[in-house]
Amino acid sequence: MIYRETGTFITSYIEDRKLFPIPFDKWAMALFMLFMVFVIPFIASDYWLAAHLIPILAYGTAALGLNLLTGMTGQLSLGTAGFMCFGAFFTFNIMLRSPEWMNLPLALMLAGTVTGVIGIIFGLPSIRIKGFYLLVSTLAAQYFALWFFRSYPYFLNYATATVTLPDHHFDLFGIGETFDVDMASFEAKYLLSLGIVTALALFAKNLMRSATGRNFMAVRDMDIAASVIGIPVIRTKMLAFFVSCFYCGVGGALFCYAYLQVLGIRTFEMNRSFEILFMVIIGGLGSIAGSFYGTILVYEFPILFSWAGDYIFKGAFDTAVVDNVAKIMYGILIIALLIREPGGLAALWATAKQKLRTWPFPH
Amino acid sequence: MAAGNPILQIDNITLAFGGVTALNGISFDVAEGEICAVIGPNGAGKSSMLNVISGVYVPQTGRVVFREQDCTRKRPRQIAQLGMARTFQNIALFQGMTVLENILTGRCMKIRSTWIEQGLNIGRARREEVENRRAVEEVIEFLHLQGIRKTPVGKLPYGLQKRVELARALVAEPIMLLQDEPMTGMNLEEKKDMSCFALEINREFGTTIVLIEHDMSVVMDISDHVVVLDYGAKIGDGTPDEIKNNRDVIDAYLGVTH
Repeated sequence: MIYRETGTFITSYIEDRKLFPIPFDKWAMALFMLFMVFVIPFIASDYWLAAHLIPILAYGTAALGLNLLTGMTGQLSLGTAGFMCFGAFFTFNIMLRSPEWMNLPLALMLAGTVTGVIGIIFGLPSIRIKGFYLLVSTLAAQYFALWFFRSYPYFLNYATATVTLPDHHFDLFGIGETFDVDMASFEAKYLLSLGIVTALALFAKNLMRSATGRNFMAVRDMDIAASVIGIPVIRTKMLAFFVSCFYCGVGGALFCYAYLQVLGIRTFEMNRSFEILFMVIIGGLGSIAGSFYGTILVYEFPILFSWAGDYIFKGAFDTAVVDNVAKIMYGILIIALLIREPGGLAALWATAKQKLRTWPFPH
Repeated sequence: MAAGNPILQIDNITLAFGGVTALNGISFDVAEGEICAVIGPNGAGKSSMLNVISGVYVPQTGRVVFREQDCTRKRPRQIAQLGMARTFQNIALFQGMTVLENILTGRCMKIRSTWIEQGLNIGRARREEVENRRAVEEVIEFLHLQGIRKTPVGKLPYGLQKRVELARALVAEPIMLLQDEPMTGMNLEEKKDMSCFALEINREFGTTIVLIEHDMSVVMDISDHVVVLDYGAKIGDGTPDEIKNNRDVIDAYLGVTH
């Protein structure tokens, strides 16, 4: 009975535009964020941070980036991992080749910006082509990124396959030395990722409820009508590519810096692009929160299934067999979900909220 | 409303798709502040005419002059910036958005803040959202759309969708409004509403209106000026009374014995 609008009277347009119109939502979100910042780092083990929370944050950023492009603006892309690759390599090179004052958050923003500009270049075909044809042309970004960094070992600092990312890259303004805390610990990496992801998600949310977001969606829904009412269609598409690739680039950099701790080309193979596309589709195209729901599902379910398989059969079968059966189960689950709710997890969540709002009276 | 100087001049427009000539040497003027109806049998080229005016199609020959500026090769966005807005024959709303969001897109040309300001939700961006919302609310009130603000447009019945589309065009504060069959497929009640809206828009805001319509009683009632097209050629141009008595127009509509 707490969860409703009753008693909340909207008296200005500003109030009507709030992120959390229902007070319960606002408090729940605040509590959730406090929990994530002040409780999780103390109770979560290194395993949970390193193998679950950090990768979800990194994947989530890239998924959000793809969702801005595909879900919001309707431009299909399979170049995600390529853009992540650019972001990761540029961050590493900026950190490696800059003077002392450079720090990781700034390097991430710079690398994201460069990736965004590259995104605009690979987004140019979208001026003339749509849908599956665009999907194929974005593959160019994927293959170009891998080819480029393979051909110019300079960007990997002439290492053979991978570079271990040095701990001192994580130090922020000498905080580590001054206060004697380990800035390269998983807790610190987790908090850094969480801060960046929260800021980016908030930015995306603001963007989507303002004129730019409406332009994105207008271009997605009907570009001829958009141009007739005065929306600069080409500019809007290019901006979508820029913002999307910025997010993907930052996501890729977090993926290497916070999660894998090493930088290598193999991380960003084609599979990664597909994985992120699945996250976006399952989470819900066009939903910011959905990008994260999808990430959690796609990332955690295979782990959960394989763990459950091991637990139930306790070695009665070969682990490889159990693993494959788990994958099949997971595939069936996703098919069932998408048939039941093509809008993905975000749509399921919205329906649930609507039910909760009208409960106990169904109408 | 009294007709003023020509605000729109169509001069010898020819438009062909491959071998099909959709418009053949069409010329007419639309005076400032009038309601001009473009009529004609199916396939006469009425919608093509509107698409040429709003910049969706580029004609092979001829000129479109709007507010003393040659618009023939301008992009739809540039023409919109000159103060032209339009609605479509097949509703062209953004299906994934709510009524409010759809109408807000109509204010896109009034936005001065950059996307970075909007993403950070600071200063100018916040103010503009409120200003635009206020303008949108005025149009919502004018067209009686209050009850469906937050409804996704896809869920609305046809008549209301047409009205939302009109709202989206109107909120841009156009000097000239093009309406492509605003009343097709509506019942009598809805047609009456739409005609009233057209007249009110014309009288209150002084907006010049060019509309395509099939219902002759509506056309004859509300328009100051009627242009008749048939097979891509202009066969009549004048006041409703002149058109009623025009031999060619009667032949085109009722057929002629050969």
